[in-house]
Amino acid sequence: MNVLIPMRFPALLALVATTTVSMAAEDGAQVYNTLCVACHGPDGKGLNGLPPLVGSDWPKGPAERTIKIVLQGMTGPVEVAGKSYNIDMPPQGAVLSDEKIAAVLTYVRKNFAGNAGAVTPELVKSVRAATAARTTPWTAAELLKDHPFPPAKTALVNLVGTMYKGEWKELPDFTKLKPAQIEDENTGVISPAQAGLKDAFAMVWTAQFQAPEDGKYTFVFDCDDFGALYVNGERIAEVKGIGAIGTRRKEVPILLKKGPVPFRLEYVEFAGHEVIQLGFKGPKDKEFKWLSDTKGAVAKAKRTPIPIEAKDGYTASYRNFIGGTTPRALGFGFPNATNLTYSADNCAVELLWTGKFMDGSNHWIDRGQGNQPPAGDGVVKVSDGAVIAGPSAPSGAIIAYRGAKAGEFKAVPVAAEFKGYQLDKNGNPTFKVAGEGFTLTDAWAPADTRGSVGLARKLVAAGDNPVTITLSRGLAVKASLGSFEVGPRLVVRSLSGIAPAPVGNDLVLTLKPGEFAELGYSFR
Amino acid sequence: MKKLTLTLLALLALAPLAEAQAKKKAADGKAAAAKKAAGPEALALQDKYYERVQIPTPPGEVVEVSSIALMPGKKVAIATRRGDVWVCEGAYEADVSKVKWTKFASNLHEPLGMFYQSGSLYLTQRPEHTRLTDVDGDGKADAFDTICAKWGINGDYHEYAFGSDPDKDGNVWVVLCLTGSFHAYSPWRGWCVRITPEGKMIPTTSGIRSPGGIGMNEKGDVFYTDNQGVWNGSSSLKWLRPGSFQGNPTGNKSSLLANFPAPPEPQSGSRILTERLKFPEFVPPAVILPHGKVGNSPSGIACDMTKGKWGPWANQLFLGEQTASQVQRVNLEVVNGLYQGAVFHFLQGFEAGLVPVRMDQEDGTLFIGGTNRGWGSRGSQPFTFERVRYKGTVPFEMHNISARADGFEVTFTHPVDPATAADTASYSLDAFTYIYQSAYGSPEVDQAKPTVKSATVSADGLKVRLVVDGLVRGHVHHLVADGVRNKAGDALWHNEGWYTLNEIPAK
Repeated sequence: MNVLIPMRFPALLALVATTTVSMAAEDGAQVYNTLCVACHGPDGKGLNGLPPLVGSDWPKGPAERTIKIVLQGMTGPVEVAGKSYNIDMPPQGAVLSDEKIAAVLTYVRKNFAGNAGAVTPELVKSVRAATAARTTPWTAAELLKDHPFPPAKTALVNLVGTMYKGEWKELPDFTKLKPAQIEDENTGVISPAQAGLKDAFAMVWTAQFQAPEDGKYTFVFDCDDFGALYVNGERIAEVKGIGAIGTRRKEVPILLKKGPVPFRLEYVEFAGHEVIQLGFKGPKDKEFKWLSDTKGAVAKAKRTPIPIEAKDGYTASYRNFIGGTTPRALGFGFPNATNLTYSADNCAVELLWTGKFMDGSNHWIDRGQGNQPPAGDGVVKVSDGAVIAGPSAPSGAIIAYRGAKAGEFKAVPVAAEFKGYQLDKNGNPTFKVAGEGFTLTDAWAPADTRGSVGLARKLVAAGDNPVTITLSRGLAVKASLGSFEVGPRLVVRSLSGIAPAPVGNDLVLTLKPGEFAELGYSFR
Repeated sequence: MKKLTLTLLALLALAPLAEAQAKKKAADGKAAAAKKAAGPEALALQDKYYERVQIPTPPGEVVEVSSIALMPGKKVAIATRRGDVWVCEGAYEADVSKVKWTKFASNLHEPLGMFYQSGSLYLTQRPEHTRLTDVDGDGKADAFDTICAKWGINGDYHEYAFGSDPDKDGNVWVVLCLTGSFHAYSPWRGWCVRITPEGKMIPTTSGIRSPGGIGMNEKGDVFYTDNQGVWNGSSSLKWLRPGSFQGNPTGNKSSLLANFPAPPEPQSGSRILTERLKFPEFVPPAVILPHGKVGNSPSGIACDMTKGKWGPWANQLFLGEQTASQVQRVNLEVVNGLYQGAVFHFLQGFEAGLVPVRMDQEDGTLFIGGTNRGWGSRGSQPFTFERVRYKGTVPFEMHNISARADGFEVTFTHPVDPATAADTASYSLDAFTYIYQSAYGSPEVDQAKPTVKSATVSADGLKVRLVVDGLVRGHVHHLVADGVRNKAGDALWHNEGWYTLNEIPAK
């Protein structure tokens, strides 16, 4: 028991010493655990769906890049540790002093970025001064332009490139050729550009390939024009003859032991494009690592579409920001593969198309930025702007607020406003509009006529005043036998009730109270 | 084994009193207190007081819950960010594995706020306030009536619209987020508007940034949560007094659209107190939710009017917290015409980032909905629908903090142990505020250290009167009462609260 007594004091002393020395780091930990932890997690691995710091290149290297992110924030798509994110980092420049930013970045770099080195308040101060005019968050592209990641070390060491001049249509015997140029390629990256020529040359690269462990390796090789790959003394892949990248891609497995093995690549460029794609996957790798400056056409993780479509005869609908119309947009996709979007801002069907309806993956993943264009083809934009006119001298009782900037905001009188919609048993919409002394209903349902897919539309007016609807605007209207060819692919046919009439490049319908118009829409 | 025991005994025997005290002092620190509130210990206690149940959502469907409405017959309607409305039967049952879901509607634009009234569901979606009715009685909405679509939207995903339940006049209050949370590129962004049952839009307050939810207290006064950012040093709970300015001048120009008096143009880099004294229409945040300490992103608001079914919290507000997947508790009082009060940590461990919260006032069940799409959360599931019920055991908590001319009165939920509760060393206070500025957020500034001069326990042991030296008007006062014990010797479940002292009462 007695032995323990003297031991306690050095332990306490050590504790005191550590506390003093790591003051700055502790302050950084406190900032991190107050502000950063909510998204990046206590262990720097990122909370659900949020980018990690551990395993990321962003906090490593020169600290200016990270200082900028902390000061002004970051926005838009970014790749972190092999995953894509599209999320905003709020700016902290107004929250944190230079000292605190230095402390928290020092903490992050020490704990989550492989001991990337301390950040001084002076550096933060100078970056803050240099970016004082910057008021918006940075994008990943901007940051990487000014502060690129260092080129990654490849598995190729002692890479030497030997260039030969000449024209060959198949691989030559290189032992019989005289080199025109020999170069050390310290980057460990293979590039045809290292030849310094465009056409009529050959190159041989030799190196040691550093296999990080025992196991199965898969090499992928393709080139323009042709070549052969040797690993561990074995010719494992060859691309033959003059040709382009794509169809002759080779993917070959080989068992390797941990450590350096001989590597050799022979390559001939006859004429035209010169490209080499060479990569490998080790026993634990999920993706190819590239040894060439051009990465192979490995299918990039694309956003999986979320098709929205009519089901069991029930019309699909999509109310969101739809490209080509106004923000208050309602899309309907009918079971016969005809589709429309209605602008509630303009009380108008503005887009008509055939084929696929909508893809929800833009709005239903991440925050859902931007407009989603229709998924199908041959989109006809039938009008832009208001299409309904009531009495010639409206009282101004119905107003809408317009303007894209504060200085332009104004309350403008409008002839009509959107009142909603009704769905029938099959999910087909009837849009409702009210204006000064009139109401208008506008019903749409799938109806194929004369073998071509189409829609039936019925407009009914009620109230005291007539209403004029511009059915299409600015598209050439050609009348023939009760139907109108509108623009390149739309045909509007009067089926019963009041018929529309062309007025210049517009197709116009006027309904008195109690009147209706039944129209058939088909696509050519 | 034997050796280890001996070592421990030795350390215990040798530990001098001073060291024990030093340890206690270290534990008094803010960080330690915050850790305790959120740690596994608090979670274990939570299970003793509240039962949290995750309700299965419709199989195979993405149900990012954005709104919750209660319907007759113990049905619960939820809306999702993808725009569906689902009706749940069985959400109150002991066995929720048998819940039945019916899709009531689809094709809505990110609805945030929904309620049931006279046979219809009403909801506020991005472009408008809408009534959904099942006219033909087949269980599916067929009439989608636009009540009001007057506010501006321009296609920016951040132009959210959160709608309230109807107030006593039948009006729905809608808070309109700024464009991208920084700008006002569309009319009425950054405003609260009221929608009358006839569809008229009444501009009601200016000064909003980025709301996360809206709700009412027991008097029917309307509050919303606003998130840290430009002109918001921290997130907070704000009172939407009609005619008021809520602090963010970005959307001021919309006042010209409706002959609304021009809202204040405050000075950036100032303090809220300074600016609001210049502009009487500037209503300061009722309760600041200190950023990073209480949460990062407050959302929905529910008031406890359950008459005890939800616990002893009559008329207190319960706020969702998106990032931390928590529910915080707020007590409010009115001093010199302004709301102010305290926020306490309360429930945690929810499975996603919380957005809507809905209290069934008859039954005492709190329904919560969550999503972490686009904004990460501590809860790891992409979406969740949950129910929380009070188990009937009153936790030992600071029930409320109330301001006095010379300090605070703290009401506890259990009679306190007079020895610890009357000891001023059982309490610690610190106070701070934020820079009121056009930049994003703020550090905590103007730190003050008010001191507890005396602590007097009431005869029933439920109240402690703290006389404090150095109260600072306008500051958040952070009270830690970690030394206080109840008569059983238990410490508080949550030992700290943050009181926003907008006004110091005269008595």
